[in-house]
Amino acid sequence: MMTALQSHTPVLDEPRVTRGEAAVSIRGLTRSFGGPNILDDLDLELEAGSFTALLGRSGSGKSTLLRTLAGLDTAPAGTVSVPDRRAVVFQEPRLLPWKKVWRNVSLGLRRGDARARASAALSELGLSHRLDAWPLTLSGGEAQRVALARALVREPKLMLLDEPFAALDALTRLRMQALVGKLWQMHDLTVLLVTHDVDEALLLADRAVVLIDGRIGADVAIPLDRPRHHGDPEFIRLRQQLLGTLGIDENGLDGGG
Amino acid sequence: MASATLTVERSVARAPSRAVSKAFDGAHRFLVPVLILVVWQALDSFGWINARLMPSPIRVAEAFWQLLVTGQLLGNLWISLVRVAVGLGIGVFLGIAFGLFAGLSRFGENTVDSTLQMVRTLPHLALIPLFILWFGIGETPKIALIALGSVFPVYLNLFAGIRAVDRKVIEAATTLDLTRAEIIWNVILPGALPSFLVGLRYAVGIAWLTLVVAEQVNANSGIGYLVMNARDFLETDVIFVGLIIYAILGLTTDQMVRAIERRALAWRPTFTDAQQPNRRAA
Ligand SMILES: Nc1ncnc2c1ncn2[C@@H]1O[C@H](COP(=O)(O)OP(=O)(O)O)[C@@H](O)[C@H]1O
Ligand SMILES: [Mg+2]
Repeated sequence: MMTALQSHTPVLDEPRVTRGEAAVSIRGLTRSFGGPNILDDLDLELEAGSFTALLGRSGSGKSTLLRTLAGLDTAPAGTVSVPDRRAVVFQEPRLLPWKKVWRNVSLGLRRGDARARASAALSELGLSHRLDAWPLTLSGGEAQRVALARALVREPKLMLLDEPFAALDALTRLRMQALVGKLWQMHDLTVLLVTHDVDEALLLADRAVVLIDGRIGADVAIPLDRPRHHGDPEFIRLRQQLLGTLGIDENGLDGGG
Repeated sequence: MASATLTVERSVARAPSRAVSKAFDGAHRFLVPVLILVVWQALDSFGWINARLMPSPIRVAEAFWQLLVTGQLLGNLWISLVRVAVGLGIGVFLGIAFGLFAGLSRFGENTVDSTLQMVRTLPHLALIPLFILWFGIGETPKIALIALGSVFPVYLNLFAGIRAVDRKVIEAATTLDLTRAEIIWNVILPGALPSFLVGLRYAVGIAWLTLVVAEQVNANSGIGYLVMNARDFLETDVIFVGLIIYAILGLTTDQMVRAIERRALAWRPTFTDAQQPNRRAA
């Protein structure tokens, strides 16, 4: 059972992945930090090109799962198969304050045209004017967009987002959500978005999985047309369903127990 | 409407007065030192204080000029500078070497940290008698003492700086497929740089302090020797020249490190002189 992180062999310039193929495959993943299992024999497959929201109560192990997929957790039991080209965006931008914005974005790029590629990625996120800025002079939203550019510039197959909007103000969050939705549609990306915000999941994802007691306790398809609206009856129904799986009623009160 | 007009008038009126007050501030700072010099000179001129013990500013200036034209000042200054440069160079080099070794690996920490922490508690100036017995009275004991004094602030601050680098940022760099060497170079070392520079400033201060003591205890050249020699001949004016030289040297080297800080830490948007470390005795 102790198989280490396995990776697909990287195939550069491969044609657009046809949907239906698994980009991520997790079998029997178990993880504990000395106490009870945080992840307990968890199975999950993510279709290539899909946008999945990972919901769960605080402390349910969402970040632990995402860190495993990112290759940051070194001792997971189980089998995890992920694409080689992965990128992560965390709740905090985690930029290097001593490197200018474009150098943050191009960090780790092995090819020579690093600045041009960083510049292109930053332009896509509306930051072409901030190329030579120091990170500590950016606003929270700008810094998070730089973090997105840094992830995007690597042309990842799998984008892992760990509550990337949680620290932003409400207006900036709306703009960033729209931006991520757009990026997913324009790039050949599999996205796993960790969030505790059911509405965010319903706005962006085409599938929501809920982490309960260390496993995927609910798996809900979100077959809504885009752009999506909060007032849509189907949206409202799905919200109630997801809130129910989280054990919370629509007034935010704990349901059962 | 009336209040708006009023505001405009006030801000217009304030603009020139602010420039004037800034110039006044500049002059204000020099007021007290200049006053002290004037009073000091006056006291001496009227014979109210013992000119032998407390030479007038003009006498000190004359002594300075004498030492300069006879070449004694520059010769001894050069010798003192070389001692500090070599001693500080060795100390900083060793401090960096130990700091990197202990900071970047658990093995290094276990190997050197506890030993260095023990030696650190010893006031290095207390080793002067031992160093004289071991190394004689030449350059070696002075340079060794300066090196010994300056190695610890560099080591301690570099070690602490490396360990204080945000783990989350290191983790983010790991997801960018950087090698360990690239992470050290791009993340850990720049992250530890502010702390290292604080240590460097301590080290420079300690180096000068050590030089003063070492040269006064035993030397036949250097600024400290000049001062001790002057004491034997009751040349208080020369002693004052020596003190002023020390002050200028200390100030200059401190400014040099701060200039490095301003350049190297330009990424800190609010980097100001208010973030100076507190001076600490050796
Ligand atoms: N490195 C760690 N050491 C010890 N406990 C951890 C560590 N990382 C996470 N945990 C614990 O695992 C549980 C799940 O954490 P996490 O995955 O961050 O939850 P979530 O992201 O869903 O809020 C929490 O109880 C947390 O305290
Ligand atoms: Mg989390």
